[in-house]
Amino acid sequence: MAGFLVKRFLQAIFVVIAITLLVSFAIRLTGDPAVTMFQGGGSMTEDDLARIRAALGTDKPFFVQYFDFLKGIITLDFGRSFVGGTQVSTLIGNAVPATLMLAFVSMAISIVLSIPLGIMAATSRGKGLDQAIRIFSLIGLSFPNFWLATMLVLLFSITLGLLPPSGMGGIQSYIMPGATMAIILTATNVRLVRTTMLDTLQSQYVMVARAKGLSETKVLYKHALRNCAIPLVTYFGLQFGSLLGGIVVIERVFNWPGLGTLAFDAVGARDYPVLQAVITVLSLLIVGINLLVDIAYGLIDPRIRTE
Amino acid sequence: MRIMKRGLLTAFVALAMTGTAFTAPAHAEGKLTLSSSQDPGSWDPIDTFLVAWAAVSTNIFEGLTYRGPDMELVPGLAESWEELDEGKRIRFKLRQNVSFHNGEPFNAEAVKYTFDRLLGEEGAKGPQRSNYVAIESVEVIDDYTVDMKLSTPDPVLLTKLAGYGAMVVPPKYIEEKGEDFFNLNPVGTGPFKFVSYEPKVGIKLEAFQDYWGGAPKLSELDYRFITEPATAVAELQAGRVDIVIPPIIPIGMIPVIEADPNLEVVSVPGPTVDSLRFNTRDGITADPKVRKAIIMAVDRKTIVESILAGQGAEIATFQSALSFGHDEELAPLSYDPEAAKKLLEEAGVEPGASLQIDIRGNDATMNEVAQVVASYLQMVGLNATIKPYETNVLLNDIIPQGKTGAMFQQKWGGWTFDYDNTAYSMYHSGEKWNPYEKDETLDKLLESQRPLTDRAERERILKEIGAYVADRALELPLYNTNAIYGVSKRVKNFIAPPDNRLKLTDVTVE
Repeated sequence: MAGFLVKRFLQAIFVVIAITLLVSFAIRLTGDPAVTMFQGGGSMTEDDLARIRAALGTDKPFFVQYFDFLKGIITLDFGRSFVGGTQVSTLIGNAVPATLMLAFVSMAISIVLSIPLGIMAATSRGKGLDQAIRIFSLIGLSFPNFWLATMLVLLFSITLGLLPPSGMGGIQSYIMPGATMAIILTATNVRLVRTTMLDTLQSQYVMVARAKGLSETKVLYKHALRNCAIPLVTYFGLQFGSLLGGIVVIERVFNWPGLGTLAFDAVGARDYPVLQAVITVLSLLIVGINLLVDIAYGLIDPRIRTE
Repeated sequence: MRIMKRGLLTAFVALAMTGTAFTAPAHAEGKLTLSSSQDPGSWDPIDTFLVAWAAVSTNIFEGLTYRGPDMELVPGLAESWEELDEGKRIRFKLRQNVSFHNGEPFNAEAVKYTFDRLLGEEGAKGPQRSNYVAIESVEVIDDYTVDMKLSTPDPVLLTKLAGYGAMVVPPKYIEEKGEDFFNLNPVGTGPFKFVSYEPKVGIKLEAFQDYWGGAPKLSELDYRFITEPATAVAELQAGRVDIVIPPIIPIGMIPVIEADPNLEVVSVPGPTVDSLRFNTRDGITADPKVRKAIIMAVDRKTIVESILAGQGAEIATFQSALSFGHDEELAPLSYDPEAAKKLLEEAGVEPGASLQIDIRGNDATMNEVAQVVASYLQMVGLNATIKPYETNVLLNDIIPQGKTGAMFQQKWGGWTFDYDNTAYSMYHSGEKWNPYEKDETLDKLLESQRPLTDRAERERILKEIGAYVADRALELPLYNTNAIYGVSKRVKNFIAPPDNRLKLTDVTVE
């Protein structure tokens, strides 16, 4: 296990370096933050631009800037935002909890919905309930998330006046953004749970369990579900990564002060330090979650632990 | 299974119940909530060029002069001023008994400190300094008199003292607390003082009871940063935002706001103008005849009426009608496709000749306008293709490096409303926004007006520049767009400023 963890840890470092190198390099090809600061107007001279570049540190060669940034990761000092000079660590510190909370709420809603629905569909295979669940999940899959978000806002905020249209506040502010993400996740998850469950239900140990006279609930939740867990955990874990990607759009629609909003604004302003930090944090999160998924395998299936 | 179902049901009921618990919008008495489209990141006046900064900070800071929504320049922290030494020295008499929000007195030292800081090391890190380079030094004459010495006369300086980098800052506070602290905890002399700032979320201000002009009528201002147009409008409709500050409301959403009995749209001509400039160096548009033909081929009046839904005005030169240097008499070339065809024929342009229009990809209005322009050009036999760029790429690379197509979008909104601000940077040879044109006559005209303090003479020359540029057809002038505010009807006494610099001293809410 220890050797395995070390290997995965080294892999993670490699992935983060590769990603940040690519992003840092690419963003520098697309524009100068000093020029961007003048908002497409302003009678700036080359002198003015040079002064600002020196203050931002963008006059240094790329690799010097990049190594400064790597040093920053280790000392947890990501430098200052080019827009206003706030400490990047403060911005990241505010944004990470906001994004993670939203992601966890969405995942939780989706898992709570998709497991029972998937099992219901599997046990009533081919019948009306199964068809209904499958049709609804197809509809859920077909929604673009920004459209769904707008429709929810129209209905719950403007017509019914029940929920705040945007911003992060009390529990109520999580409902619409969480539900928007969850509906789309659930659509895929239900189908996955259904298929996995169908496979499992045909296996011999389920037949044995039934033959023993165990109640159907016990068969489903104690024996079958546990054996479905490996593909499900893998999938949910990987999904968390794409969820973090999808959250960028949702954060913008719901004006959520998370990593997505931070990244979006940073790209617009060519705010290199903020963008690099966001990408680093996101890739660390995704790599970390994949690692957790691997560890979880061991917990679920003793056979993997001993290998 | 039954347990599961019951669990689900409880979850739904719980969700539904939390839903009903928070219906009432949070409106305290005397509190105004505004949405602003951007977080400037720092509240220090010398750090930014963003109008989103000014939309908030006009309530926190003040300059020596003040320019309100009526665009008249009036005394601010200076009670009066006189120009000495042929415009190379300005003497300001300062207002007395004014204090900063932290109790620090406002006096000549504070003014000197402000400009020393702007033109010194701290200012060098930011973009604002470039606007004030005409100032050589500030000298304290007595506690309430300062002399501003200029290296060259700057006729726009008094206007520039009313905003942005020239806002007077508290010396002791900055020296004691440090620059970083000041960025996030601004202190000025304005009618509202800073309460709290949360990056990417918002900034809160409260009434400054000791304001020299009398305490403001509102007790609290709550600015929320909302970047997505639909979200800002939804918040306005839900009654959680009272004023949506431009630029954010898309023209297409105006009917939605107008249809709501609690809301209104307040729209005023703003500083922002759009033109499609020509590559005057290469290709068919190097010929002034072709450029004139293109201008005549496009019906700009219809574009303003239909695509802009009347939220704008046609222009003849690259400036708003409010701008100093605007010429009422100068009419743009009129729409005449037949004459355009003839001109193209004279210029030897084959029917079916192609040209490219470069635009900002995220500019929804321009995307539509460019398509209409392309179809007008089609009617006179020119095949136009539209190339949208990411704004930063267009501004950093394509325009300054002269890599544009035959036509390219330029959008500009200088808050000083002075034609020199745009004209010099766009038409003087060697300037960043002028990749193609080298014209000695134009250079001389542009240079000649810069040091003039005689307003009438300067205005005459600016008008001459406008007429010259129009005659040389350096651009297809399109329109000056309005600043569109969405306002709740509970807001009273709100006068929409054209330049986004909202000073909310007299505003009340019901």
